[in-house]
Amino acid sequence: MTWLLWRQHRTEVCVLGLLVGAFGIALLVLGTQAHDLFPGGPARCEGQAGVSDACTAAFRRLDDEYGFVENLLAAFYLVPVVIGAFLGAPLLARELEDGTWQLAWTQAVPRMRWLAAKLLALAGVTVALTGLFTAVLTWFRRPFDAWEGRFQYDAFDLQGLVPVAYALFAFGVATAAGAVLRRSLPAFGVAFGAFLAARMSVALLARPAYATPLTATKPVPVGGSQDRAAPGFADWTVERGYADATGRRLSSTEYLALEDSADRAGTNLNQFLHERGVQRFEVYHPADRFWTFQLIESALFATVAAVLLGVVVWRVRRRLL
Amino acid sequence: MTAAGFALRTDGVGKRYRKGWALRDCTLSLPAGGVIALVGPNGAGKTTLLRLVVGLLAPSTGTVEVLGHDVTASTPHTLSRIGFLAQDHPLYKRFTVAEMLRFGRTCNLRFDQGLAERRLAALGIPLDRRTGTLSGGQQAQVALALALAKRPDLLVLDEPVASLDPLARREFLQVLMGAVAEGGVTVLFSSHVVHELERVCDHLVVLNQGRVTLTGDIDTLLAEHRLLVGPRTATDLDRAGTVVEAVHSDRHTTLLVRDGGLPVAPGWQARPVALEDLVLAYLSRPSEPGAEVTAVGAS
Repeated sequence: MTWLLWRQHRTEVCVLGLLVGAFGIALLVLGTQAHDLFPGGPARCEGQAGVSDACTAAFRRLDDEYGFVENLLAAFYLVPVVIGAFLGAPLLARELEDGTWQLAWTQAVPRMRWLAAKLLALAGVTVALTGLFTAVLTWFRRPFDAWEGRFQYDAFDLQGLVPVAYALFAFGVATAAGAVLRRSLPAFGVAFGAFLAARMSVALLARPAYATPLTATKPVPVGGSQDRAAPGFADWTVERGYADATGRRLSSTEYLALEDSADRAGTNLNQFLHERGVQRFEVYHPADRFWTFQLIESALFATVAAVLLGVVVWRVRRRLL
Repeated sequence: MTAAGFALRTDGVGKRYRKGWALRDCTLSLPAGGVIALVGPNGAGKTTLLRLVVGLLAPSTGTVEVLGHDVTASTPHTLSRIGFLAQDHPLYKRFTVAEMLRFGRTCNLRFDQGLAERRLAALGIPLDRRTGTLSGGQQAQVALALALAKRPDLLVLDEPVASLDPLARREFLQVLMGAVAEGGVTVLFSSHVVHELERVCDHLVVLNQGRVTLTGDIDTLLAEHRLLVGPRTATDLDRAGTVVEAVHSDRHTTLLVRDGGLPVAPGWQARPVALEDLVLAYLSRPSEPGAEVTAVGAS
């Protein structure tokens, strides 16, 4: 079976290995240079320490010289789906579209053993490749995380456990779609679409609700400094706005009305707001919830993947293909 | 005869897909040894029945017993005793012939690599070519060599020669019959071509619209059936229950009867029937058991 698995899937594994290797090496080279901006490691500039002159200078250079790379990292949102769907889509679909399932399942290897070997091996490759790439990316982002925290979308979604779970999800969807559609390419397309839809809806709608967010309020300062209401730089703010002296949140119309009044009165806006006791509020998840959220989101995607693969196993077992 | 005397036994087997029944009430007992032809028009359920026999599908009703074992259990032992050549003889197109043989060796308990290599060498098929670059006839030969190298007790072939040109068809059948002659293997193959069957087969199963309409040893079937030709009679053929088909021309009526050789009525002549005509007569009958015999008339 080992030889057969390798012979059938070596093209996908090699192509993905080369891609992951090439991007990984590029990130390692750029990342080494970026890390060199922080003698003693980026962790020493985290949080309050970041306001020191040395750290401010280092962050400025990081932004100037490597900020473009950070923006390009958004493309790596797609790494899990490329790996998972590329390995999962042909697993059954290629056998079904070429008719070779009739060959594979009439040898002396029972189909359940054949399927188990395939699923374990290819899911293993999916986890290994995604995990490796995520490890490099997590390391690469450390200077940026020291600066902005890692709870924002451009950091949370690229590091820790979640990319591996996303990849397993894509693998599960692609395998199941391949079993139903009996064609590799449409199965890959379905996995891609499902991945985008699931990732966006979970990140935007479900993730903020994994725990009850905290709320911080702070009176609008006279000077109008840009201080945030939330206590830590690495917290994840899900909502912000203004509240009146009693703590009631102001709608945007109410806030605009206040701005108009300040204009008409000819006073500075911040002073105007300060005099009326208006406060800034911020609804946020504190930075130390990072791993809790990673675990919840990983479990969510991994569970869906397990259910989909369970359906595939059930269908093959019942000979419904 | 014990259960081991049968290559294949099915009892009330049916298979329903989402769009309806592909096979119904299929009860068969096919003897071990020899060549069995499964004949029927396209869409009759031949592929479904063969896939049930090799365990690729599970029956919706009934049981399938191959070589004395329930085939849906899919044990390595049972699987290794059945060779299957699917329609259009699928192969991994990007494997070389040698890699296909390695596939057979790693996935089977008793794979005779030497046998396969000898067969392919005799046919002049190079081992280092990718199977996708071989001609259709050569691909069929590679698939057959793979199936035979398993040294199966039952070899099942789904329309093995349908996609081959006449020359490749003859070569394929020669190799197949040579393997049968070497002994030990029961061959079950499907076909929608009826001629040439007599030369190759011992046993016949006719399938029409998902039902078995005729099954038996070919010699016995030919002995039981005959054609009766006499003056044209439209009604009361006086042979209720034995007429398979009645054909009327301007002056004559030709009856295909299964009466085991009863005395012929005055004015009528008896003739033997050709296998092809026998099969076609059963294929043109309505598939519902017990239904009235239709008169295919030309008036």
